[in-house]
Amino acid sequence: MLSKSAAKAFFLGGTAITLAVFLSLTWDTFQQIPGRTNAAALTDQVKRGKHLGEDNNCMGCHTLFGEGAYYAPELTKVYERRGPVFIRSQLKDPEAMFPGQRKMTNYHFTDDEVEALVAFFEWAGKVDLNGFPAKPTLGAPAQVLVAAAPSAQRPQVFSQICVTCHALGGLGGTVGPALDGVGTRLDAAYLEKWLKDPGAVKPGTKMPKLPLDDAQLGELVTFLSSQKTLKEVAQ
Amino acid sequence: MKFQSQKVAWGFFATCMLLLSLQVIYGFIMGFAHAGYDGLHSVIPFNAARATHTNLLVMWLLAGFMGAAYWIIPDECDRELAWPKLAWVQLVALVVTGVTAIIGFHLNWWEGRKFLEIPRPLDFLVVIDVLLFIGNIGWTVWKSPKKSTTSMVLFFGLLAAALLYLPGMIPTDNQTVDSYWRWWVVHLWVEGVWELIMGAILSYLLIKLTGVDREIIEKWLYVIVGFTFLSGILGTGHHYYYIGTPRYWLMVGGVFSALEPLAFLGMAIYAFTMAKKGGRTHPNRVALLWTVGCAFMSFVGAGFLGFAHTLPQVNLYTHGTLVTAMHGHMAFWGAYAMLVLAIISYTLPLMTGRKVYEHASAGFAFWTSNIGMTAMTLAFAVAGVSQVVLERRAGMDFLTVQKEIEVHFVGLILAACLFTVGIGTFVWNFIRYGLPNAPLKAGGERVVTPPPDVSPGVPAVARS
Ligand code: HEC
Ligand code: HEC
Ligand code: HEM
Ligand code: HEM
Ligand SMILES: [Fe+2]
Repeated sequence: MLSKSAAKAFFLGGTAITLAVFLSLTWDTFQQIPGRTNAAALTDQVKRGKHLGEDNNCMGCHTLFGEGAYYAPELTKVYERRGPVFIRSQLKDPEAMFPGQRKMTNYHFTDDEVEALVAFFEWAGKVDLNGFPAKPTLGAPAQVLVAAAPSAQRPQVFSQICVTCHALGGLGGTVGPALDGVGTRLDAAYLEKWLKDPGAVKPGTKMPKLPLDDAQLGELVTFLSSQKTLKEVAQ
Repeated sequence: MKFQSQKVAWGFFATCMLLLSLQVIYGFIMGFAHAGYDGLHSVIPFNAARATHTNLLVMWLLAGFMGAAYWIIPDECDRELAWPKLAWVQLVALVVTGVTAIIGFHLNWWEGRKFLEIPRPLDFLVVIDVLLFIGNIGWTVWKSPKKSTTSMVLFFGLLAAALLYLPGMIPTDNQTVDSYWRWWVVHLWVEGVWELIMGAILSYLLIKLTGVDREIIEKWLYVIVGFTFLSGILGTGHHYYYIGTPRYWLMVGGVFSALEPLAFLGMAIYAFTMAKKGGRTHPNRVALLWTVGCAFMSFVGAGFLGFAHTLPQVNLYTHGTLVTAMHGHMAFWGAYAMLVLAIISYTLPLMTGRKVYEHASAGFAFWTSNIGMTAMTLAFAVAGVSQVVLERRAGMDFLTVQKEIEVHFVGLILAACLFTVGIGTFVWNFIRYGLPNAPLKAGGERVVTPPPDVSPGVPAVARS
């Protein structure tokens, strides 16, 4: 039968060996991390973004690299999934994109801070995570379909923001009406007024007032006005 | 109770009761937010509720371990604590630091690193506080001629836990490095040195409650903690699959973490065997129930549910979903919360001279909280598996999936109500035990005979 001193030797010996292996692997891992994480791209802006996220505890609602809380979307690939325009809008006015949904804190970030966070997410998305997050195996994700749709003259802001709620050509969200043929339905002046502040045109509407600058607004109005119904195109 | 200074344990245990109650309240806040009722968002946003919930948990478990050490070490070493007054000062300092941290969380003052949210300046206070604690029990052990295996394992477990807090304080600009060190604290605590503490406290309770020979119990203690480190140290790799670390961790972490349940299985078999073997029937049956229950539930929560998502092929899809929350609840409950409740159940009658454990409510608290926690785990499991299938496998949008699984959080809240009834009963019994003022007795604390001279209405005095 096993004696107490043999049991003690098992404990001490086993611990010493595994600890030695663990420390060696740790050493090797630290040799590889700079390459795998693209440490050369860790600019001051990216670092600032990381610390901003840390100081505000974004991981208390979100996960990043799969670590954090399970209340809000995983952020590792958010740059690829949503794009910079969407992220800026989300950080400036979190309620805008998902009115009446789960809430995110509004931090009133300055433009510099928003850019730092965007840069951080761009960096994070490129770290080699051994295949995480995995591509869905049972069907293609909705967002990828939208991005893959022909979008030659689509303004960036349209394919990143408007499609979360509106469909065009059968692809996109269903919160608002499909925008096929909207250029026939609505004229440019109305569109501009609407996009500037939907609530002012139609109080109580579920379409949010989005933080769009003049250039984006112009692009959108031109683009939307060009969405004619087939009948009108044929004429 | 053999020594006057053991009384300080009561202060730590009372702190546990208070923090546990608060933890449950913050759990409800998050449960409701997940179910779609986030009315408190502007006052206590989700991230504040979460940091408070988990830090209260860690804090009350640490307070429980400290209380246990302040009780066990004098008993095992056969002498008074080195500096009993310092122990009280250390308790007050711990509570003040903790309360400051929690208020800070509500004012957006923290480090956004899961489980290590306590802001940097307070980290230093925690370290100093823990050093005072280690010094106090260390000196007590050092000064004593008796160095039992149980007390040594307990001491070194606590010392290692204190040292492992330090890697969490290494500053870095790289998210991957940040995460690498964070696991040295989080994983090497719960699946490493805390298991040492758990093994030691369980051994102490089994020696006291079953009367099985110390030599046999302590021999198996070595075997179990041997398995713990053999699997648990390299098992850290199960957190290094997908954070930007090399691919070989998939192999190393997968193999060694798959062996981790053995240590928990060992712990469960050990407790059941010793409880059956022990001829003596200690009158405090409820303390034995918590002790054996702890060994069993830790196997279910940590061993079984941990194994369920530890292989890299599975973890690729479950990583960072509610499946982790399912495992986290049952594991923390079974292994560490029940352990602290077990040592409290055992020591209170000895400290206060009352025998509330004879009352049916003591068993009721055990069963209700355990059934409640099991049901909560099931609710998290259904929500988690649905999330994995819909979001990770079928590619549905995050928020759409969250809407789908809201109903399971209604289930979670119902289960949590049951759990809370059990915990409420436990806390109520703690209050009924009253303050620690049992007369000191040397040795022979297993014999509890009703004293001849009790007047009706006055609780019987447990001989200790
Ligand atoms: C109180 C919880 C909470 C906190 C804290 C929080 N978020 Fe969010 N965040 C959300 C929720 C919920 C969503 C989902 C969309 C919505 O309802 O606004 C979201 C969405 C996002 C998105 C869009 C993700 C997507 O895929 O649609 C980004 C980017 C984001 N948050 C960044 C951050 C950053 C950066 C921080 C920290 C500075 C942060 N969040 C803090 C709750 C939170
Ligand atoms: C959060 C969801 C949401 C987002 C994002 C959103 N919309 Fe809307 N939108 C709506 C809803 C809801 C309506 C219907 C409003 C109503 O009738 O009250 C609407 C209506 C409209 C209409 C009028 C359609 C019609 O046929 O009457 C236009 C045009 C429009 N949106 C354009 C846009 C553009 C361009 C963007 C991107 C800059 C955008 N929307 C972003 C929700 C959204
Ligand atoms: C008492 C012991 C244990 C406790 C208290 C515990 C608790 C936890 C907690 C709280 C987390 C989430 C951590 C975070 O994301 O920061 C976690 C994650 C994890 N645990 Fe445990 N655990 C224990 C034992 C085990 C065991 C024995 C195994 C394996 C057999 C295991 C496997 C895992 C895995 C794979 C994860 C990562 C989940 C993910 O990828 O999101 N755990 N555990
Ligand atoms: C009323 C009872 C409780 C409720 C309703 C509750 C609810 C919750 C919720 C909703 C979360 C957050 C999950 C997320 O990030 O979205 C959470 C996290 C957590 N809770 Fe509880 N909880 C309760 C009690 C407990 C108890 C008693 C323990 C410990 C024994 C515990 C340990 C934890 C841990 C470790 C986490 C972090 C999990 C992880 O990161 O994976 N909770 N809880
Ligand atoms: Fe782990």
